Amino acid sequence: MLCEKCKKNPATVHMQQFVGGSKTEMHLCQECSSIKMDMPISFENIFQGFLTSLQSMTANRPMTSPSAPCARCGMTVEQFKKTGKLGCEACYQAFAKEIEALFKNVQNATRHEGKFPRRMGVDMRVRREADALRKQLKEAVDAENYEDAAHLRDQLRAIQNEAQAETQEAVQ
Amino acid sequence: MSAPWFTRAVTDESPILSSRVRLARNLRRYPFQQKLNAPNAAAMVQEIQAIGTHFHKMDMQHLSDAEQKVFLEKHIVSPEFLRGKLPRGLMISDDQNLSVMLNEEDHVRIQSVQAGDALPEALLAANQVDDLIEETHEYAFNAEHGYLTACPTNTGTGLRASYMIHLPFLERTDKFKSLLPAITKLGITLRGIYGEGTESMGSIYQISNQTTLGKTEEEIIHALQKTTQQVMEHEAQARDTMLITHRPDQENMIYRAYGVLAYSRKITAKEAMDLLSEIRIGYLYSILDKPKPEKQIYQIMMEIQPGHLQRVAGREMNELERDYARAEYLREIFC
Ligand SMILES: [Zn+2]
Ligand SMILES: [Zn+2]
Repeated sequence: MLCEKCKKNPATVHMQQFVGGSKTEMHLCQECSSIKMDMPISFENIFQGFLTSLQSMTANRPMTSPSAPCARCGMTVEQFKKTGKLGCEACYQAFAKEIEALFKNVQNATRHEGKFPRRMGVDMRVRREADALRKQLKEAVDAENYEDAAHLRDQLRAIQNEAQAETQEAVQ
Repeated sequence: MSAPWFTRAVTDESPILSSRVRLARNLRRYPFQQKLNAPNAAAMVQEIQAIGTHFHKMDMQHLSDAEQKVFLEKHIVSPEFLRGKLPRGLMISDDQNLSVMLNEEDHVRIQSVQAGDALPEALLAANQVDDLIEETHEYAFNAEHGYLTACPTNTGTGLRASYMIHLPFLERTDKFKSLLPAITKLGITLRGIYGEGTESMGSIYQISNQTTLGKTEEEIIHALQKTTQQVMEHEAQARDTMLITHRPDQENMIYRAYGVLAYSRKITAKEAMDLLSEIRIGYLYSILDKPKPEKQIYQIMMEIQPGHLQRVAGREMNELERDYARAEYLREIFC
């Protein structure tokens, strides 16, 4: 969707305005939305903006094919787009490409960095540490700091082995 | 501190009335709300209510309309929760600062409120309830996306952190409108709590995070604190301008507000809220030379809402009857 004001940039800001009891919607680009300051303050825009971006997703970028319904709960892409709500945990896999695009659009991120259930403990801890080490490793390599890089690579291997050992222990 | 947050004194001039944290969680074993049937919903509610003994537990279906409204006006339940068709459960701590909605948009919605500026404390309390549930129940979670919620706007931390904030001065400035888009760009929203559309009664706003992925809980809270700090600086600037350059106008407004609250015979919620907002300024900056009521102004704002009035009256009342009852209640406090 293009910005309603400049008709040039993509509309990324979605606002609702209540005037005399009736509702109007505006879809603006970042730039135009910050110029248009005389708007009354009534942004229930977050959820509405989210639904709008959900609905325009296939219209703007035709995907090869929309995902098939969720095998576990029967939710379809169409239903999801209408309500903005998923039917079960498995929907996250079933509609992975739609959801990924949506996360980039409304969340500005796709990865969880926060708390995790204790039962995920070992996995999550290793995952986080490994991610951090990989990042440092890449920086070291980019800076041609090979001594550090070698050290970091060893550390990375060590925690991966340790994780494997712990998993095997848990299995036995 | 085991008193409801709204009865506690605001110790400084901070516009922050309360800090609130909400965690959204779902159980792995059940489909989300959209695909949940009534027997499963009832089973789910029972399962969660079986944890811990330090909560009062109730089924929404067994509460009267007035009781439900009171919970709504205290922000313990959401309008969506009251409209729900499936069996729904509520768990509330003694002081009502901790509560869990079962079968709202997600299976589990943990809420924690504290008086004043205390988000980390509110998060800590919510996390304790979360850990308790997790001891016996498996949450829908994956390593990549975190806690899986019915709506992808909550996926990840499932955290909504917010401040309830009183902005009587900033609200009247042009600056306010230009602030909103800037805040939105930071992934934070500011909106009126009472009233619909552009209306914001009593100058009470909620400022909260919008995004739940890519940041830790602590980072989300920190970002909200930072933005709120900036909003408060703007509020302080606007306040100084008004109280210094428009002092006589301000005094006039505050005393007129007091007069109406103390003597009117009939008053709408909107008018009363706005006048109470004036009165709060009056007490805060020692402009109003009248004895301060024992109750916090915000508590009074809550108690003049329809549900609270009806509970006190012990019966349903129409709008007109409520306007009379409200005026009477206010006279008892201020007259
Ligand atoms: Zn534009
Ligand atoms: Zn599903």
